[in-house]
Amino acid sequence: MFRAALVDPQIARASRGLWGDAARRLRRNRPALVGLFCIVLFALAAILAPVISPFDPYAMNGSSLDAPSLTHLFGTDLLGRDIFSRVLYGAQISLFVGVGAVVLALVIGGVLGAIAGGFGGRIDGVIMRATDVFLSIPSILLAIGIVTALGRGMVQLMFAIAVSYAPTFARLLRGSLLALREADYVVAARTIGASRMRILVRHMLPNALTPLIVQATLVLATAIIDIAGLGFLGLGPADPRTPEWGTMLVDARRFMQTAPHIVVFIGGAIVISAIGFNLLGDGLRESLDPKLKR
Amino acid sequence: MSDQHLLEVRDLVVRFRTHDGAVHAVNGVSFDLAAGETLGVAGESGCGKSVTNLAIVGLLPKPAGRVEGGSVKLEGRELTTLKEEELRQVRGSEIAMIFQDPMTSLNPVLRIEEQLIETIQAHREVTKEAARTRAIELLTAVGVANPESRLRSYPHEFSGGMRQRVMIAMALALEPRVLIADEPTTALDVTIQAQVLDLLRRLTEERGTATILVTHDLGVLAGMADRVNVMYAGAVIESGTTDDLFANPRHPYTVGLLRSIPRLDGETGGKLVPIEGRPPDLIDAPVGCSFYARCAWRTDRCATETPALLPIDGGKGPIVTSGPAATHVAACFNPVAPEEVAEGRPLRRSGGATR
Amino acid sequence: MGRYIVRRLLAAIPVLIGLSILLFAYIRILPGDPCVAILGQHRTPEACAALRENLGLDLPLWQQYISYLLKTISGDLGASVVNSQPFVAEFLTRFPGTIELTIGALIFSIGVGIPLGRLAARKVGGWLDGLITGVSLFGVSIPVFVLGLALVVIFGVILGWLPTQGRIDARARFDATSGILLVDTLFAGRLDLFVDVVRHLILPSIALGSIPLAIITRITRASVIEVANEDYVRTARSKGLKEKTVDNRHVMRNAWLPVTTVVGLQVGGLLGGAVLTETVFVWNGVGRWVVDAIENHDYPIVQSTILVFAVIFLIVNLIVDVGYALLNPKIRYQ
Repeated sequence: MFRAALVDPQIARASRGLWGDAARRLRRNRPALVGLFCIVLFALAAILAPVISPFDPYAMNGSSLDAPSLTHLFGTDLLGRDIFSRVLYGAQISLFVGVGAVVLALVIGGVLGAIAGGFGGRIDGVIMRATDVFLSIPSILLAIGIVTALGRGMVQLMFAIAVSYAPTFARLLRGSLLALREADYVVAARTIGASRMRILVRHMLPNALTPLIVQATLVLATAIIDIAGLGFLGLGPADPRTPEWGTMLVDARRFMQTAPHIVVFIGGAIVISAIGFNLLGDGLRESLDPKLKR
Repeated sequence: MSDQHLLEVRDLVVRFRTHDGAVHAVNGVSFDLAAGETLGVAGESGCGKSVTNLAIVGLLPKPAGRVEGGSVKLEGRELTTLKEEELRQVRGSEIAMIFQDPMTSLNPVLRIEEQLIETIQAHREVTKEAARTRAIELLTAVGVANPESRLRSYPHEFSGGMRQRVMIAMALALEPRVLIADEPTTALDVTIQAQVLDLLRRLTEERGTATILVTHDLGVLAGMADRVNVMYAGAVIESGTTDDLFANPRHPYTVGLLRSIPRLDGETGGKLVPIEGRPPDLIDAPVGCSFYARCAWRTDRCATETPALLPIDGGKGPIVTSGPAATHVAACFNPVAPEEVAEGRPLRRSGGATR
Repeated sequence: MGRYIVRRLLAAIPVLIGLSILLFAYIRILPGDPCVAILGQHRTPEACAALRENLGLDLPLWQQYISYLLKTISGDLGASVVNSQPFVAEFLTRFPGTIELTIGALIFSIGVGIPLGRLAARKVGGWLDGLITGVSLFGVSIPVFVLGLALVVIFGVILGWLPTQGRIDARARFDATSGILLVDTLFAGRLDLFVDVVRHLILPSIALGSIPLAIITRITRASVIEVANEDYVRTARSKGLKEKTVDNRHVMRNAWLPVTTVVGLQVGGLLGGAVLTETVFVWNGVGRWVVDAIENHDYPIVQSTILVFAVIFLIVNLIVDVGYALLNPKIRYQ
């Protein structure tokens, strides 16, 4: 969208205005800032995991099921592995798979949505029916189906989550493009004889992206939850020792009666990162949509 | 002034609290309404016409809008201090309202029947059957054909004009003493406007309903109103009988309003003269005359002092606030002279700014 | 109205065809030799031959699809490769558990979500609104299984107030004809068992219902706020209607509309979430069956469950759309 902005000074000004405005409103939105803080925390944990982890997440470093202590902040699991280190590395996996899945979903959904909304007609009908098919399957079951079909593994996990979100992105983009087709400046561009492709890429797409960005942020929260869900069902990374949050919860669940803190720490990590993306997504929606300004 | 008016509004002040500060929506509006009289209220959008009306019946949007001063008396009974339940009994039965857009003012998911009957039953202990009979009478009175079957219709099955007729029927259902019609024809086609206005005039005359008719269209007022209040920036700036006001406007803003409407008699040579500039931002409390920035007749005094509504002839004798002998008043330190009205600009040197 | 329903039914046909192609492909893209992939450790030469015969693996692809489609339409949804039980028979014994759980979650989310949304809308910007918004944010941010585990620990383990496993006391003996225990216990005249079933249902319903609860609360709040600003609500007040009438008749009758659509869309999420919830609460339903099927590589079961859940989702949303049309006269007459 920024390329388009550079080419067309009109849009460039409008777009800088929109984003500058949005940034200003976002700074005043306290919940969104809290969300941003959660995300930074989550991202730092993921990126710095190798640096700040006190222990090797795969190695036995204590006795089995130690209670939280200064050495093991979150205690140890059945195999004596440091849970704090495993939660940090778990953030890495969630961030990597989650962001990868959402980006992939954006690409797949974006292309399909742009084709459907930009060109309309029969191709639009076919794409929309296809998204209907995917949307009729509960997303976790769709992901289960894909992972069982492709085999377990991080890339498969990423792909499975991406496929279950792509239809939503496609519909969203198509919807905004259809609405924009009637917009005055698009009609104006058409009357001066601009080509279809040019109108789509230069005039319509930049304006249709905002709802997509908002949705992508919100979906990141769902992605983190769904990754953990698949892990909890035993469909996470191929190696069961991998410190993936959902996979870790399967073990934690077995000691729920004696060591409930394990569930709390892992669950807390999931909830905090999901809350972060939800808060930021809501904040973005409010600040990017001037109509919502009260 | 000894005899009591049907409706007396005194020094009404309404503020809206917003994120950007308090909006001074209505700044000390006073007027009277006698039984059976039609009072026109004119002014640009945002000048406080509608807010005044909503304040009278206590329907300001909550919690932002608040009456912060003044009084509203209906037959001597103070309305601004009434409890919500007492005010509810006044609304619809003693003071009824018609709003601008009949497309959005009727509930889309309820049949006309339900909306008419609930109005009647909110104030009268009558059976559904009796209310229904009354509803049919009302629809007949406002000229809806086949009222019995039309009762079963939903609003979207009516045309705009027909919907406004239904709104009128609903407003008159309980024979209110006062009808407040807020831009009742603005959203309608021009041909339909005349029909609806005719109907409104006929029905209010027959019933002796006092009417406040709000519009930005002075042409409508010329044919409908006995008296006219011209409002600007949340205040009445000129008031008088319709004849006085149209023949002899004194406030520069009124002159501007009159000159900005097309006239069929071609007195201004068919040339439309817009009022330059925009109404003031009501976030800041007005200092001086609120029309100062746009006024060609302004003097230095206007910048610092707020003019009061005073009789244009210098104020001999008591001010009459209602009826055909109402005193013509204007809030202006440097009123427009009769010979300047046609020119639309000051002819004397004493005037302040030139643009 | 009739024409509207027919049109909606016809629109579902391409989706159903797409669904059948997708699920047909699913069994065939399993990696490796289909016999190994599908039968896994359960394969014997005889079973392999039977499977090849059953799936028609030696026929051209389009013939295989046609035969899959015909079988599916005739109600033959395959069989377990583990114990050869036909899918439909086993599904029918498992499904009542999932229905019970889903309905419990729906009752919880609608019953709590709509009043909360209305309350928040009435106090927009106030502390109560903030609290409710916060709770609903938490609801969409906490995974079903994490909330489920937390509920088990708090109410089951620590407080011991409610059962955390299964649908009914394992020692209970009575005649379960429909499989929906809420109904069966009542018909058997066993009020004590009915109460027991309800107690078992509470925690799983809350866990599964948390996301729909959050979504329903949000949409109700937004919808009520929007409708409350409509002109016709001002008209209703100007007529002197009681505030309760304005609220129930004029605001809610319109605010319902977006809420019904959203409730319908939640059913897909509920069926998916049931898979996780049933695992946490050892709940005997389709969800746990699917998880077992995944572990046992019993792919035909996964395949047909996806099909049935998708069809249920489509049917529920058809019903919701018809209900929407009934509530909204504008659509009804179009």
